[in-house]
Amino acid sequence: MNAETTVPKSSPRGAARPVPLFSPGRVATIASGTVTQLVRMKTFYFLLAFALVVVAVGNFNLPATPAKELSMIKKVSFGTMDLFAWLFAIVATALLLPRDQEDRTLYTILSKPVRRIEYLLGKLCGVLVVVGISLVIMYGICAVMIGARESLFVSAEIEAMTSSGRYSPEEIEEQVGLIRQQGLRPELGIAVGASFLKAAVVAGMTIFLSTFASSSLFTIIVSILLFLIGHAHTMASSFWLHSSDNSMIVQMLVKVVKILIPDFQLYSFSEGIVQGEAVVYALVGQMGLVTLGYLVVFLLLSLLVFVDKEF
Amino acid sequence: MKPFFQKVPRLVVVLVLLALFGLVRSPLEDGLRTRLVEANLLTPPPAQGAFEQMGQSALMGTLGGLRSLVATFLTLEAFEHFSTKSWDDLRQSYQIITALEPRDETHWVSVIWHLGINATANMEVEGRLPAFERERRFKEYAFQAIDFAERGIEQIPESSAIRIQLAEIYREKLKDDCAVARVYGDTIGLPDAPGYVRRFHGYFMARCPGREKEAYAYLMALYQEGEQQRLPTLIKEIQNLEEKLGIPGPRRIPDADPDRPQKTPRRPPNLLPGDILVPFSVQDLRKIRG
Repeated sequence: MNAETTVPKSSPRGAARPVPLFSPGRVATIASGTVTQLVRMKTFYFLLAFALVVVAVGNFNLPATPAKELSMIKKVSFGTMDLFAWLFAIVATALLLPRDQEDRTLYTILSKPVRRIEYLLGKLCGVLVVVGISLVIMYGICAVMIGARESLFVSAEIEAMTSSGRYSPEEIEEQVGLIRQQGLRPELGIAVGASFLKAAVVAGMTIFLSTFASSSLFTIIVSILLFLIGHAHTMASSFWLHSSDNSMIVQMLVKVVKILIPDFQLYSFSEGIVQGEAVVYALVGQMGLVTLGYLVVFLLLSLLVFVDKEF
Repeated sequence: MKPFFQKVPRLVVVLVLLALFGLVRSPLEDGLRTRLVEANLLTPPPAQGAFEQMGQSALMGTLGGLRSLVATFLTLEAFEHFSTKSWDDLRQSYQIITALEPRDETHWVSVIWHLGINATANMEVEGRLPAFERERRFKEYAFQAIDFAERGIEQIPESSAIRIQLAEIYREKLKDDCAVARVYGDTIGLPDAPGYVRRFHGYFMARCPGREKEAYAYLMALYQEGEQQRLPTLIKEIQNLEEKLGIPGPRRIPDADPDRPQKTPRRPPNLLPGDILVPFSVQDLRKIRG
């Protein structure tokens, strides 16, 4: 054995413990630090804006039947929830890496036995936890508003139908059923899950961009642009192809965009659930797997850029 | 130059990996999209025309994944057009709304009702237009409503609400009994179709020239189903047909039983339409004051 590689038998601090290749504990520590960091940035204040939107929509005296009014409240609330979720995922993720660099926390972390993949995964998990908590709170606000309006509509409808004396209990039940169909249902939780999955892919894409971006502003702008393109390319491609008479160049361009940019429009299945369509759990599961695929690939690509980055 | 050359291969590797992942996921996502559309969870892209008609903000919102929000906003805008009787603007708004959310039955029913009932009613009383123009627009709005109904039925073939609204236009506005009979006939057997559509199909078939015999056989079959179908209107329609077709006396049906219990409770004699109570007693007076 070479003398240079021999480990000294006695060391004043004892033998260094081998550092495991991957430690979920370290990832959890970085994730919890990220959650604290984001909470200290007062990010949850946007929930106030959301609550205001929901309360305003819930108190509109819309010129519609109770069922339609409930459907409108749901659509606006869940649309706003979705918007806040992906926007929050972009902004929060884009701010994290540059902020750590600015505060010099990054150097402290990376000088410890922390793998870069653990750092990136910890950051991503932290953002996802905060997005998840926000979505749960937003859903809670929504549920209170929808539940309150639903019970109000149901009692008003029962009272009106009973007092008119012209309707049988079956007809009243049928009418109430129509309102309840647009009210608070457990399936709405899956719609929130869909928004979470979309926000997770957006966060994964943003963390990848932020590994080589020069500033937070650049990351935010590019992420939003990519998100919009990812949302629109399926819709817009048929339009472009039609208006260009299926030109070869447009076809190629559409294919390149489709291959490089995630298809965020797929996650709009939450809209169908909000509108009262039946949930197909197998498809929701497959969407979860696709999301997992996106996260793994974006994380590996981020690592590829970040692994030998010098600070 | 050195860092540049160090960086380029890494970026190339990243792009290649991204493209490879794209190639793998693309067919999977296409399959998922098809199944999500089939399950009505995902709405297919809006029709060609919808993009051209959208305003800049609506277009951006739609492309940005805020399709539901844009549709809801446009529904509110459409109500504004209804309030100001701007029927062409209302139609324009609903063109986009129905393109954005083609699976939402309420949008189709609303636009058919607005154009087919409200706009045509407005044309019947609009004093600022000459009679010829009013008549022309009346027909135009009615046919636009029918066009919407046909597109709605294409999108939601199982919808009974759209067909019932369409039948109302043929019945109340165009007075086309044959078309009413056809639409009610199409509604029979659909999920959520009300029970009366079977009888209405027969009533309007009876009024459709040339279909009297068919209507008689159909209504008689309903009559034979039992007491629950022997409503005064059904009996009256059969008796009208018996007269028209010269059915011999022994084969004719008896008059409606006057003692047959009414489905709707009898209105108190002192309760006028609109629930206006005429006080007949001290309790009535207390009810009015309280």
